[in-house]
Amino acid sequence: MSSQAHDHVHLPDASDALPGYYEIMETAIRELLVDKKVFDAGEIRQMLEVMDTRTPALGSRIVARAWVDPAFRARLLANGRAAVEELGIDFFENTQLIVLENTDKVHNVVVCTLCSCYPREILGLPPDWYKLKPYRARTVKEPRAVLAEFGTVIPDDVEIRVSDSTSMIRYLVLPQRPEGTQNFTEEQLAALVTRDAMIGVVRASAPAKEKSR
Amino acid sequence: MTPTASLVKRLPTEMGGLDAGPVQRAEHEYAPWEKRCHALANVLDIHKIVNTEEKRRGIAALGSEMVAQLSYYERWIVAFANILFQKEILTPEELAKKMNEVAARHGHGAAA
Amino acid sequence: MSDAAGRGLDPLARVVTTEGAEPLFQTGDTVKVAMRFPVGHYRVPTYIRGKRARIEAVIVPPAINNEDEGFGRNAGIRRHYYRIAIPMRELWPQYRGPENDGLRIEVFETWLEGDDT
Repeated sequence: MSSQAHDHVHLPDASDALPGYYEIMETAIRELLVDKKVFDAGEIRQMLEVMDTRTPALGSRIVARAWVDPAFRARLLANGRAAVEELGIDFFENTQLIVLENTDKVHNVVVCTLCSCYPREILGLPPDWYKLKPYRARTVKEPRAVLAEFGTVIPDDVEIRVSDSTSMIRYLVLPQRPEGTQNFTEEQLAALVTRDAMIGVVRASAPAKEKSR
Repeated sequence: MTPTASLVKRLPTEMGGLDAGPVQRAEHEYAPWEKRCHALANVLDIHKIVNTEEKRRGIAALGSEMVAQLSYYERWIVAFANILFQKEILTPEELAKKMNEVAARHGHGAAA
Repeated sequence: MSDAAGRGLDPLARVVTTEGAEPLFQTGDTVKVAMRFPVGHYRVPTYIRGKRARIEAVIVPPAINNEDEGFGRNAGIRRHYYRIAIPMRELWPQYRGPENDGLRIEVFETWLEGDDT
C-alpha cells in the first residue's frame, strides 16, 4: 500500500461522472508530477482557489472606481497593473495591463489572433467565442461588422482601435460611463459594467428607464 | 513558392485575417478538469517548467488537424504531455501506464 | 574638475549600458514590420508583416524575446516591446470603414526597422 496520501487526491470540483480521455490524461499528468515532486498537490488546489475568485466582477469594480475617482482613473491609465494592485488584486509573472479608455472619439476592442490572451486576473476565464475562429479572424479586419453582431454600432466619426494581444501585455477596455448615472453609488455603477463591455464588444449602458432605483 | 511551404509558414493556431462566419455567442460551463488543466498550466509556469510561450508553441506544434479537432483544453493537455516528454520530465511509457491506472479506477479498460 | 587619474569626465556620461537596455525607437517614430517567416513559433501575426506603423509607446522594462521563450529560453538579452499603430487601410487595401480605424499591437524590437520613406 503506497504511503503517499495523494494517490486519490480529490480536488475541489472533482467530477463523479466518468472521466473522458483527456480528463484521464490531465489526472495522470498531474499525479505523476506530484509523485515526482515537481509540485505539491496543494499548489493545484490553491491555484484553483485563486482562479475561482477571478471573475468579471473584479473588472467591474475597477471600472466603477475609475468612473468615480479621477485620480485613480489617471493612475489606471498610466500603469494598469499598479493601479489594480492597489485594490488587492495581484497579477501573475511579468504580466502588464494597459487600460484602454473609450471616449466620444475612440472605441476600443480587444482580441488575440494568435491564441487567447485575456486579462484573466481581473476578468476570469474568457468566453468561448473569444477563443474561437470567427472572432479571432474577423475582428482585426472588419471590427465594425463584428461589433454589429453584438448589437454595437459605432458611428463613423468614432475611431475604432483594435488591440491584438501578442506579448505580456493584457488589455482592459474602460467603457464610457452611461448617461444619467451621476447619483449612482460605486456598487450600482459596477453592476452596469459587463464582461463584454470590458472586452469592447458592447458599451456599458444604464438600466432601462422603466426600472426605478 | 513551394506548395507545402504555406503549411510551415503559417501556424495552425493563427487566425488573424482569415475568412470566417458569424461569431457564435453560446458559452459552455468550464468542466472541473478544464479548470484543473488551467491551474496546472499556471503552476507549471510559476515553476518555470513550462512557460506560457512554450505552451503556445506546443499547441501549434500539434499540427492543423489536431488544432482544428481538439477542444481548447484538450489541446493544452496533449501539448503538455509532449513538452514534458521533450524535457525528460515524463516518459510516454510512464504516462500511458498511469492513464491506464486512472482509467481503471472508474471501471474503464485501457484509457481510450 | 579632474580626478587623481586625470580622467576628468562626468562618470554619468561614461556609462555604457547593456545591449538592449536603450530602446532603438521612440514614440512617434515610423517603422516597418519585418517580412520574415520563422519556422515553428512566432508572435508577430502574418497580417502585419511588411506593414508601416507608428510607435505609440515604448513598453518598459525590456524583456525576453517571446519567440525564444517558446523554446524554453527564460533568460537572455532583453529588448523592448513597442506598441505600434497601423491603420486598417494599411493592413487591408479593401477596408471599407473610416480611415481612422486602426490596429494596436505589441511587437518585439527585433521585428522592427526604421522607415524613412
